[in-house]
Amino acid sequence: MRNTSVITPSTTQTATRQQKFSVYQLLLHIIFIITSILVIIPVILVLAVSFSDENSIFIEGYSFIPKKFSMDAYTYLWQDKMAILHAYGVSISVTVIGGIIGLLLTALFAYPISRRDFPLRNVFSFYVFFTILFGGGLVPWYMVFTNIIDVKDSMIALILPGLLMNGFNVLIMRTFFQNMVPPSLIESATIDGAGEFRIWWQIIMPLSLPVLATIGLFSTLGYWNDWFNSLIFVSDAKWYSLQYVMQKTLLDVQFLSQHSSSGGTSALLAAVPTETVRMAMAIIGAGPVVLAYPFFQRYLVQGLTIGAVKG
Amino acid sequence: MKKQFVIILSLVVILGVILSGCGDSKNNNASSPAASPAESSTSPSSSEEPSDSVKLDPYKLVMVYPGGNPKDLKLVEEEMSKYLTEKINATIELKPIDWGAWADKSNLMFTSNDKFDLIFTAAWLQYNSNVAKGQFLELDKLIDQYGQGAKETLGPDWIKGSQVNGHNYGLPTLKEFAGAAGLLFRKDLVEKYNIDLNAINTMDDLTPIFQTIKDKEPGVTPLVQSLSLNLPGLISGYSLDYLGDSYGVVDPDSGDLKVVNMFETKKYTDAVQQMRKWNKAGFINKDASTIKDDQLYNVMKAGKGFAFAASTKPGKNAEMSTQLGVDLLQKDLIKPQTTTSEASGAMLAISRTSGNPERAMMFLNLLYTDQYLINLLDFGIEGKHYVKSADNVLDFPEGVTAQTSGYNPGAAWMFGNQLNTYLWSNEDPNKWNKFKEFNDSSTKSLALGFVWDPTNVKNEVAAVANARTEFSGAIQTGTIDPDKFLPQFNQKLKDAGLDKIIEEKQKQLDAWAQNK
Repeated sequence: MRNTSVITPSTTQTATRQQKFSVYQLLLHIIFIITSILVIIPVILVLAVSFSDENSIFIEGYSFIPKKFSMDAYTYLWQDKMAILHAYGVSISVTVIGGIIGLLLTALFAYPISRRDFPLRNVFSFYVFFTILFGGGLVPWYMVFTNIIDVKDSMIALILPGLLMNGFNVLIMRTFFQNMVPPSLIESATIDGAGEFRIWWQIIMPLSLPVLATIGLFSTLGYWNDWFNSLIFVSDAKWYSLQYVMQKTLLDVQFLSQHSSSGGTSALLAAVPTETVRMAMAIIGAGPVVLAYPFFQRYLVQGLTIGAVKG
Repeated sequence: MKKQFVIILSLVVILGVILSGCGDSKNNNASSPAASPAESSTSPSSSEEPSDSVKLDPYKLVMVYPGGNPKDLKLVEEEMSKYLTEKINATIELKPIDWGAWADKSNLMFTSNDKFDLIFTAAWLQYNSNVAKGQFLELDKLIDQYGQGAKETLGPDWIKGSQVNGHNYGLPTLKEFAGAAGLLFRKDLVEKYNIDLNAINTMDDLTPIFQTIKDKEPGVTPLVQSLSLNLPGLISGYSLDYLGDSYGVVDPDSGDLKVVNMFETKKYTDAVQQMRKWNKAGFINKDASTIKDDQLYNVMKAGKGFAFAASTKPGKNAEMSTQLGVDLLQKDLIKPQTTTSEASGAMLAISRTSGNPERAMMFLNLLYTDQYLINLLDFGIEGKHYVKSADNVLDFPEGVTAQTSGYNPGAAWMFGNQLNTYLWSNEDPNKWNKFKEFNDSSTKSLALGFVWDPTNVKNEVAAVANARTEFSGAIQTGTIDPDKFLPQFNQKLKDAGLDKIIEEKQKQLDAWAQNK
């Protein structure tokens, strides 16, 4: 901590204020440093384990510095590179396509219900709100996507169910439009002869970058981290998303461990990837998102604070 | 800014498409014959007439089973379809579901009336509750009409053992008809210290052996145990009849059908006391009560363990040696026993949503009688996934290992007639004869064929299961003192409603015995 300037009577007041301020700052810094460490440590541990020699892990347990450095886990995954790259491709495509379409649809829905001169806006708002409160349960949900619209074993199965639009996001966006877009702006655009669609696309959307970035990030992360849709709707390995390829290993281990005394499952369990490989998978799966985060950071700060500002 | 964004975005899309395309290049030539589920009956690719005198319409069978999704699945599917077209004018689609997704997915398939014909099931995969819900077709008539070969191959014991209320809802896989438990030892250390495994008759005989290992092999745990792979659990599990879920068991040695609490039986308490002694002596790994089975295997792979407990059958050691990459020897500690859950440990059932149950039964029949078909399903295509080094003995082709093989599901125990399948070169050539002996020598439980229906005491079963997880691992690995904790444990189970479960089980068992 830096020493404050020498205290003279004339500056006492400011000095104490400064000191208080810096103690407060210091506390804040410490809290955030601790929080950051708590967040980063597990990631570092996972990274370290993925570069450790398997046997040293069994014997010594985990450590932050690999007892014996080894690239075995990554070479093991490299043997299977086609499947992993393929899953990457699926995940990236789904994330980009789903993210963009989802964002557009959300904005298209949120904008009308934010407009006070739209007569049915309460009905539609309630409709969105209702979906947040009540869900049909897994089986009806599954039946809609398999019997009414057959999405099984396709890209649509990874994009449409549960992720494309989320009521909560619609409401966040609606609030943003309501608070940030002055009605006079829309009026003047109308007087200048712009149609509704043009107003939305050329005036409202560019003004709403912060909220678009925020919701975009939410849905992108949602798509990137999703494995449940692959589990439920996909049985052809062609459409496995990257996260499911990893989750699958963990789920298999869990299930086979539960039934290890039955029949041939004990032998199957011996063939699952080891801990170092699982950690390496986690690193590979998290990579792109970690890299993408800084680009969103700027908008995220704006977008999330915006909700607190009363327009 | 905007331009850049568009450029970056399009690059990402292109990258994604390229990546997801590049994995495809290999499978392009192997696209499935029926791409859309709507075409349930595709015309067979070969225009041969079925050899059968009765003209069957072409039909596509769909078989659902748990397992991985091997690279060359489609190739094997095509080979099978070719063969089946000749035999029964049917093609087949194999639909493996990952083990971890099995519970969710199979339930959803049933509830949403998905169309499929055959499904793998077992006592430990909700077979009974699915039968109760009417998800499987009753097979009695179909077996008599189209499944004679399978029926003869299986014999009356198997057919009876897997029945529910006198009817068959699935055909059991012909494999080991009994279960036993024992230990698997590291071969190199057994030879190094001239240990005579045949001289082991009781658990006490193991004490000096473990002592030797502890004294002379620093860094090697004499007995590695885990939450579920521990001696007391396995020994009581395979010498008592669990009657489905182990809450209330029958002791075959008692000669009657009295349901008792397993955790108070002498077999269980003796084994637990022994573990405590061994644990105090330092023979058992410290983390035994918390580690999972795969972690136990890791300890063995790393060469840090000498012995571990396992459910056994003939050739179990060879099977595990292949998987772990460590040579193992096997010693059974109890005689094989047959219970309902053994008799229904792996089955294929026909779904109520099947479009053509008759054809599904014909296919099942072939799995029991046709050596070519069952080996194609179990091991893939000759020359590509395996080579024969002798008659009925397999090896991987040059440069292929278990990990890199395009088709090595390791699921020979799941389908049809296992005694009709080839053996890997490291397996005992007499394995199947030993299987027959093992099956014949087993004690048949008096309650063989009884199926427990826990519906009326569902809440108690859940509560007891919770109480059990709290204690059983620590007690069965000798981590905590049984003199002090076993009574507490039993009290906990009784508080959770164990007595009510036992009472209900007794009632059902008595009713079953009267109608026998």
